[in-house]
Amino acid sequence: MTAGTVARQHTAPAHRRAIEGRSPWALGWMRLRRDRVAMFCLGVIVLIVLVAVFAPLTAHLTGHPPNEQYRSTGLTPDGLPRGPSRAFLFGTDDLGRDILVRIAYGARISLLVGVAATALTVVVGVVVGLAAGYLGGAVDTVLTRLIDVVLSVPFLLVAIALVSVTGPSMTVTVLVIGFFSWASMARIVRGQVLSLREREFVEAARSLGAGDARIMFVDVLPNVLAPVIVYTTLLIPVVIVVQATLSFLGLGLAPPTADWGGMLSESQAYYTTAWWFIVFPGAALLVTTLAFNLFGDGVRDAFDPRRDR
Amino acid sequence: MSTADPLLRLDGVRKHFPVRAGTLLSREQGRVYAVDGVDLEVHNGETLGLVGETGCGKSTLARCIARLYDLTAGTVWFDGRDITGLSRREMRPVRRDVQLVFQDPFGSLNPRRRVGSIIADPFAVHQLGTRADRKRRVQELMERVGLNPEHYNRFPAEFSGGQRQRIGVARALALRPKLLICDEPVSALDVSIQAQIINLLVDLQHDFGLTYIFISHDLSVVRHVSDRIAVMYLGRIVESAPTRDLFESTRHPYTRGLLSALQVPDPDAADSRERIILAGDLPSPTDPPSGCRFHTRCPKARADCVRTDPPLTGSPGRHQTACLFPLEIGEDLSLASPQVHDTVIGGAG
Repeated sequence: MTAGTVARQHTAPAHRRAIEGRSPWALGWMRLRRDRVAMFCLGVIVLIVLVAVFAPLTAHLTGHPPNEQYRSTGLTPDGLPRGPSRAFLFGTDDLGRDILVRIAYGARISLLVGVAATALTVVVGVVVGLAAGYLGGAVDTVLTRLIDVVLSVPFLLVAIALVSVTGPSMTVTVLVIGFFSWASMARIVRGQVLSLREREFVEAARSLGAGDARIMFVDVLPNVLAPVIVYTTLLIPVVIVVQATLSFLGLGLAPPTADWGGMLSESQAYYTTAWWFIVFPGAALLVTTLAFNLFGDGVRDAFDPRRDR
Repeated sequence: MSTADPLLRLDGVRKHFPVRAGTLLSREQGRVYAVDGVDLEVHNGETLGLVGETGCGKSTLARCIARLYDLTAGTVWFDGRDITGLSRREMRPVRRDVQLVFQDPFGSLNPRRRVGSIIADPFAVHQLGTRADRKRRVQELMERVGLNPEHYNRFPAEFSGGQRQRIGVARALALRPKLLICDEPVSALDVSIQAQIINLLVDLQHDFGLTYIFISHDLSVVRHVSDRIAVMYLGRIVESAPTRDLFESTRHPYTRGLLSALQVPDPDAADSRERIILAGDLPSPTDPPSGCRFHTRCPKARADCVRTDPPLTGSPGRHQTACLFPLEIGEDLSLASPQVHDTVIGGAG
């Protein structure tokens, strides 16, 4: 199609409809929608989010607040957890609390930490990666060394030390996870930016008089967003597992707050006698991370820059 | 000959790129002498063609003029003002007057942004006009360069190469620059599209009173659009003359070599014309030859050429040549043979 014929087309109404250009994002979304596994996982994720949002509803329907201990009805005469029954669908834990309700409340913690820590990671990682890759020179050298340092610090040791100083809290959990994961995000972004900044459209922006900040955020950033989004969706399940790990080690949230890692930790002593105590929180964690991971794979396939041409 | 001050004047412009080795403590290992002493004048309203082989420094020179690179040495005068040492902030108003059209219509447009926003970039960067203003002006520009203004919401990937180059031209024109540097604007396009873009550029020059620096490795394209042509070789200007002069009374052997490689539409003329094959490759700009840089490939090279670096002689705007033994009119270069080696060995011994 030559330029001349297209220029003359404005009068042809047949071409009107297609004038709104499809963005690379719209094309990616179209591909994603055709991916059945990814869409199923998205459905599961939405379901988990709904469970977390409406956790108080489960408490209301069962009549069991998450931290209420039912010592007479929820425990056997020997003081052991009771298995699934009509009153307690997922059984009770060692203190006679309703596991179903606690899983619903635990979903709030997992998702909240997952989203908050991932957001922190993305913001810090993208800004550092952009600055290192685009500005180059001394800035790049310093930031790259910093990335190397952070990646070489033993995560659990620092986490344990930090929590023992500050005491367990959600803020500390988010900060610790964020502090240790921004570096790999920054590395990914930096690599992309290094090749992007040599492209002619960056030079074109500079020849118009655009400043570094504008070029970084208006011209370069949209082009690294695809890998950033892919990495983000794959980071959320990792963060959720890490949060559960910290809780499992007693570094997460102060009891009696319900969260999945903590529940798994409490169930350790009972796994021979009370299978439901370990299976249901474990399954919740597994299903959540699996859904995010498979969805992330779908996102990667749909937004892979190599398929963009 | 214009008596007015030139719009653009280059004095001894040099741009060297250091070649570094080592990652932590980098050392300069050598230099690429991409542009190595260029004097040039461009007058208001004219089109200066800049030709030379790939790698001779044309694009680097363009980026030096647009101050995308800091010069190693030399001065750039624009509109009577020395812009060499201006900071980025001080350059901003100058950038409105000097714009570039890039070679690669695919690489020079941001693939993730809509065309309307790309063309509106100049207004956004210089904070001109309201949203509605900008949209109206973008659509006027699109119309002017032969694009459908209703396509402003599309992405670059939805346009053909020629259309994308029109987008690039529209963006460059947005601020009504005085000087438009076209860096190989058509070499990435099909021949049929090339003509459309060139005609567009010529039309725009008439309408907006633009001054062009038109860079190309294709002499036939440059000949068509240029008032004057400067020939570059290894970071230097070797010959510069009004277009007709350059073609009819070529003085530099290198220029003659380029001209003889031109396609001639008439087969009889093609058979009978003189053919000078430029032997060998362009020497590496990291280690340019001594004396006249062209002596390694020049059919007329003499011992002097190895030792003496010929300056560009002649008055600016007229015929200038950097050659110790310029061609006479009618001289047949195909009979010449270089005579440097005997003398050099004799001289050295």
